[in-house]
Amino acid sequence: MTAQRIPWTLIVFLVAATVPWLGSRYDTFLAEQVAIDALFAVSLNLLLGTTGLVSFGHVAYFGVGAYVCGILMKTYNLPFIVAFPAAGIGAAIFALISGYFCVRLIKLYFAMLTLAFSQIVWAIVYKWNDVTGGDQGLPEIPFPNLDWMSSIPGLGDLRTSDQFYLLALAVIAICLAIMHRIIRSPFGRVLTTIRDNPERAAFIGINVRAYQLAAFVVAGGFAGFAGALYGIFSRGVFADYVFWSKSAEVIIMAILGGMDFFWGPPVGALALVWLNQQVTDLTQYWPFVLGTILLILLFGFPGGIVGGLHALWMKKRGAARA
Amino acid sequence: MAGSLLFSQFMGGFTTAMFLFLIASGLSLVFGVMRVINFAHGSFYMLGAYLAWQGMTWFQPLFGSFWLAALFAASGVALLGAVVERLFFRSLYGREELYQLLFTYALVLILGDAAKFLWGTNQLTVSTPPALSGGIQMFGTTQPLYNLFVMAVGPAIAFFGWLVLNRTGVGRMVRAAQMDREMLDALGANVGTIYTGMFVFSAFLAGLSGALVTPIQSIVPGMDVLIIVQAFIVVVIGGMGSFWGTFWGAVIYGQVLSFGILVFPSFSLFSVFALMAVILIVRPWGLFGRPLL
Amino acid sequence: MRSWIKLAPLFVVPMLWPLTAGASDPIKIGFPIPLSGPTAVYGEPVLKGAEMAVAEVNAKGGVLGRKLQLLSRDSKASADEAVRLSRELIIKDNVDFLVGTLTSAEAPAVSTVAKENKIVFIAPTSKSTLLTDPQHIHPYIFRVSSNTDVEGLAGATEMAQFKDVKTVATIAPDYAYGRDSIAAFAKALKKLRPDIQIVDEQWPKLGEPDFTAFITAQMSKKPDAVYCSLFAGDFVTFAKQAAPRGYFKAINNRLVDGGEVGTPDEAQALGADYPYGIIADAYDPVIWGANEPPAHKTFIADLNAFAKTKYASGWSVVGYQSIYALAEGIKKAGNTKSDGVSKALEGLTFDTPVGQRTFSVKSHETFAPEYWGVMVKDPNYPFAIIKDPQMLPASFPMN
Repeated sequence: MTAQRIPWTLIVFLVAATVPWLGSRYDTFLAEQVAIDALFAVSLNLLLGTTGLVSFGHVAYFGVGAYVCGILMKTYNLPFIVAFPAAGIGAAIFALISGYFCVRLIKLYFAMLTLAFSQIVWAIVYKWNDVTGGDQGLPEIPFPNLDWMSSIPGLGDLRTSDQFYLLALAVIAICLAIMHRIIRSPFGRVLTTIRDNPERAAFIGINVRAYQLAAFVVAGGFAGFAGALYGIFSRGVFADYVFWSKSAEVIIMAILGGMDFFWGPPVGALALVWLNQQVTDLTQYWPFVLGTILLILLFGFPGGIVGGLHALWMKKRGAARA
Repeated sequence: MAGSLLFSQFMGGFTTAMFLFLIASGLSLVFGVMRVINFAHGSFYMLGAYLAWQGMTWFQPLFGSFWLAALFAASGVALLGAVVERLFFRSLYGREELYQLLFTYALVLILGDAAKFLWGTNQLTVSTPPALSGGIQMFGTTQPLYNLFVMAVGPAIAFFGWLVLNRTGVGRMVRAAQMDREMLDALGANVGTIYTGMFVFSAFLAGLSGALVTPIQSIVPGMDVLIIVQAFIVVVIGGMGSFWGTFWGAVIYGQVLSFGILVFPSFSLFSVFALMAVILIVRPWGLFGRPLL
Repeated sequence: MRSWIKLAPLFVVPMLWPLTAGASDPIKIGFPIPLSGPTAVYGEPVLKGAEMAVAEVNAKGGVLGRKLQLLSRDSKASADEAVRLSRELIIKDNVDFLVGTLTSAEAPAVSTVAKENKIVFIAPTSKSTLLTDPQHIHPYIFRVSSNTDVEGLAGATEMAQFKDVKTVATIAPDYAYGRDSIAAFAKALKKLRPDIQIVDEQWPKLGEPDFTAFITAQMSKKPDAVYCSLFAGDFVTFAKQAAPRGYFKAINNRLVDGGEVGTPDEAQALGADYPYGIIADAYDPVIWGANEPPAHKTFIADLNAFAKTKYASGWSVVGYQSIYALAEGIKKAGNTKSDGVSKALEGLTFDTPVGQRTFSVKSHETFAPEYWGVMVKDPNYPFAIIKDPQMLPASFPMN
């Protein structure tokens, strides 16, 4: 019982915030990657876990966000405070347009169309040299102006990249809190109803398509935020960021962590980044290891890490009760 | 002048189309019967190419080494398909489609690295079989003999496939399974064997097309990913599960690619995905397919 | 009192330890390079050349008493991957310098990482001018290879010798190097032969598996000759697809390629399918014929022994040169701080098996010439070789 009263979320974020001091530059690098991936994965799970929509093209919105923010900050020298929301809005608009067509299709066709749109974004980004840098990409995305951070005690001595890490962490925390709210809200409950039985939902008068589209737009917008942060984090935006293999990667994160739980995808992101680091140190055959992990997941632990832990906890609780 | 260019581009597009038809037909068949999209189909194609190369190095001194190697490759991949289906896929039927898709994606990762491990990461090439090297003059252009051969093989297999599907008992079972598998099962047919058979045949086709493509294209890591996307587009255009749909889808796609660089040099990459999107929006079940139930 | 004296060394040694540790710490060089995919046929020998240079330097005692250590990674010829690896090499592995990348997609991207982290980065092979143009130059980027302006002049010189050619077509991969090389060629050709017109341009993407549509479109324009910037695996695929269509026959093998397809690496990859009669270049022709510099002979012998090959690669020399250039820079600077090494490298002249090279002060590049000639069959070798390799361009203004 008391486990639920402990503010786990707050603790996690506070611990994450101490990394620049406690860990090496590389640890901060990894932590930032996990945090951004977590945001991206949670946005996908709004579609996958909550609404039951399998999207293969979620990276499109990530990419749109990354490029919008990158282009506005690098080419037009706009400040972060303008570019960042613009990235989310741009991604959301694209999600609205593409989603309108996608939600009219069922299951497999929906998945195929999301993939098609995602590859269209990739093709445009790849060829539109003047704006997106084409295959060269957009290197040297500037950091946002973080001078204001120096006035906060204790933060003045940090490297710029560490300061940005803290900013990103704060932004991600806010985004996750908003998404958590959304999922817990009546709107979110309608989405799960649609996931469980779309025909019944339609029967009781829910406009299934409208709700699905809304979920699509929200998910797309937050993916765009993740993309914007990623562009600054990696100091560049490249066409490969929008390739469909990244969509597959984020689906794996969500499932690895457990798509039935809000904190599943972030756990999946952490696990995947950590595993990737450990494995690539030992061998170049990371895809093989990832494929094997996926197999183990599918055949052994379909609920993912959090799902498995939850089941274990429920068993213990049941045993305690008995 | 313009006539010979049009002819060249058309023939080039048709060659591409026939290769894609060979590959995509397997994908479409599996989908029609098993309602599953096999991402690993591209990996089967790639393994077919690598096995053909391997076969060439082993059978080099023998007469007809290329054909032996191609048969060896296709059979090898078919065997792999049988193993995959029996050991793994079986347990996923009836589970959520997402899991089946992810399983095939896991296969892509595993098989891709297996190929790298076995054959290295360099680009490999295979020479054209001597019987089919050289070209024929046609309408002011030189058409490579080997390409003409491929252009003939495509429709030949299509016709053979149509024959089997529509004129044999086995074909009738397959068509029935496509329409209503529960009923077929209730009627006592061994649906499991049909599934395995379909999967193995589809793997054979993929392996064969991989082997046949080696004189024309280089074998390189990543060819599995490149081809599966194209195969998808073909199947979407033609209609998933429809044999002739795949054929015409391949033809259309091949020509779009071929003429695309003439009309839209910078946009051919974009145009094929746009085409896929348009078909999915306007007529998701493709030109010849049936709406999914 | 006496016990203290006995114990004194126990205190002194740990105090001195950090000094000895510094002296034996290797100088770490991060080396991202494509080791898979169509460009690996060039990438792997570049790494081998670098490895041999490191082995030679270390055998002579290293640089400033410290050994060199190469940390190589597969960049897959992707800008994205190269950037990610470079940052990891800097942040996680704490490399002192970066050497590597193959293509002009990777090098400019890694250059920005080098600039941001203030680490010297030497690019052995990237030719695109945007790597070192005034907009992108910074203290830490250096280029050992030729650049597209030099290549374009050499290529145009070769093309200009065909007196009866009036129309030329071009085919190049659609990315920075391809675009720059064609632009440079066109500009140089205009000066040398204003009567020649460029009638067709084809732009397949890097790594294109099927060139058929580009080949047939180009053939329909019936050019007299072709300038080609396809290289590595792409050229192999292209040649195999073009030959049966009569592409080379139609232009009488008058194809000039500046992408180093004259190297034994490329010739062996194509084997009997090599389009003999075309004009190609190489940083190192390997098989020189007469006038071979003695230093080169030794280099090739050593390379064959090190790499356990029968016929040496024409690409290893650039990896080799880059390491030696870096070593010279460190020696001259007297330390391994990138700021000092960068200043030392500017204007530095260093020896290579194919001649002396100097880093220009303004743009940090060597404007290296390459060796050009017709590709012929030679009974002594199982692959095409350059006949009478000539150094081109004869001269190029340094800045």
